[in-house]
Amino acid sequence: MPKKLNSVILNVILLVMGVITVYPFIWMILSSFKQNQEIMALDQKLLPEQFTIQNYINMNERFDFMRFFFNSVIVTIVVTILVIYTSTICGFVLSKYKFRGRNLLFGFILSTMMIPWCVTIIPKYTMIQSFGWLDSYKALIIPAMFSGFGIFMMKQHISKIPDEVIEAARIDGASEFRIFHQIIFPMSKNSIASIAIFQFLWTWEDYLWPYLVINTKEKQLLAVGLKMFNGQYSTDYGALFAATAVSIVPVLIIYLFFQKQFIAGIASSAVKG
Amino acid sequence: MGAKYRKYQSKSEIILRNIVVAAMIIYFTVFLIIPIIIAFAGSFHNWNPLSGTYDFLGLENYKDVFSSGLFGTSMINTIIFSVVVIIFRVGLGLGIACALNSVLVKHKTFFRAVYYMPVVTPMVAVAFVWKFMYNPQIGTINQIFGLDVNWLMNPKTALIAVMIMTIWKDFGYAVVMYIAGLYSLPSDVMEAAKIDGATSWQTFRYITLPLLKPMTLFVVITSIISYIQAYVQILIMTEGGPGTSTYLASYIIYDEAFVKYNFGYASALSFVLFVITAVLTWMSFRVSGDEEA
Repeated sequence: MPKKLNSVILNVILLVMGVITVYPFIWMILSSFKQNQEIMALDQKLLPEQFTIQNYINMNERFDFMRFFFNSVIVTIVVTILVIYTSTICGFVLSKYKFRGRNLLFGFILSTMMIPWCVTIIPKYTMIQSFGWLDSYKALIIPAMFSGFGIFMMKQHISKIPDEVIEAARIDGASEFRIFHQIIFPMSKNSIASIAIFQFLWTWEDYLWPYLVINTKEKQLLAVGLKMFNGQYSTDYGALFAATAVSIVPVLIIYLFFQKQFIAGIASSAVKG
Repeated sequence: MGAKYRKYQSKSEIILRNIVVAAMIIYFTVFLIIPIIIAFAGSFHNWNPLSGTYDFLGLENYKDVFSSGLFGTSMINTIIFSVVVIIFRVGLGLGIACALNSVLVKHKTFFRAVYYMPVVTPMVAVAFVWKFMYNPQIGTINQIFGLDVNWLMNPKTALIAVMIMTIWKDFGYAVVMYIAGLYSLPSDVMEAAKIDGATSWQTFRYITLPLLKPMTLFVVITSIISYIQAYVQILIMTEGGPGTSTYLASYIIYDEAFVKYNFGYASALSFVLFVITAVLTWMSFRVSGDEEA
């Protein structure tokens, strides 16, 4: 039975790859519940012998790590919502309205995705400084309000919504704002889910920009906090594992929650075959 | 353009269009075009914000870039890093996507979700996890394989270690892209091949692979763009060391700009990197044939 054999081989390969993919997460989370001596022990076991949540308490008491966490939650949610809105409305205008220079504008926005971060980050930093926005969340939120990637994704998606839907609403007397909010927006759920997850991740993991523009420790974000923490307490591995787990788990939960829409959104708007 | 203009545009359409287009133009001018111009001007200057210098140097910074041994080393590292990671990303992505597309496999959505998990986790945190895993004392990698390698401290293994981590983090993206590509393949062509008696390898080699070419091009180009810009894993795991064995091009820019505050030199480096990115992207289009370009 070659078919049965093939099936077994394929499934085993996929399973092994799956275990390799998941193992680092499991190791990290389980280690965060181990005592330091167990983490440093010569013969290690995957499961903690003595389960402890002391690492999570230490992480917060010694370093106030949850403050970074909640700062990041606020900034990330605000940026993600803004980017979803601007991407959808720009995608709508660029795909459904015809005006002079439209293709030029869209081509320009596409090309912005190719510009490396390092080209613009120094002048952006000096600009933020001269605006007097240093050490405020304005510096984190306003320069991140539009996303070339988001506009591209939404334009691809919205151009597939039939014009008749919009025409029908126009004939019924709906204003363009209403058409956008009540028809286009709800019809773009999958693509919005994929932008949401990507944008959430990018803002959540961004290290350099908050490191540059935020000076007060109490206002700092999670990625920078994690790096500082590692520099200061490089021997308290338990607490480091706990802090790392705290910075990964929320993103994973959001992903697992939305993954169906997310993958459908990626598949539908990324490339036109 | 040849676009057909509707005879009547309602007032609300014009208002919405004007607001949105104006907002886009203002945003991209302020946060993209102006910074590019400032950076370009700065690349011809000795620009250091700490000492307050901004003196014209002409092409000096660019000459320094091309005569710098560290930049040469970092470009070689970046090329090795990108080529190896892209080959594994595309290979694993295509292989696993085809396996998941097979009728012999169940729980497709489960596997797909699992492989994509590392892609949506923050790089800073993932780099720490792997740094701990490579640790010769507490690390799980030496434990599992019974090795005694100081992965990140040995110039021979450090770059390999960073590449393995990056492949682990990124291959899931290629898997999902290829699944999307396979899904949109015309099924009648596949049926016809089967009826004509093509083996599954022949179908893959002569039908599936050529039809997936646009997707491969897309994955390769987005990978080139992102790996030329990669620096976070280096910053967390090795800081370029040991020696210069893991210096990547973007990490030098980070180092010059925000550790040494040589803004002018860092800007010149950035533009060199930008040109390299543009050339490589253009070349990928050429290599893949003109039909997509």
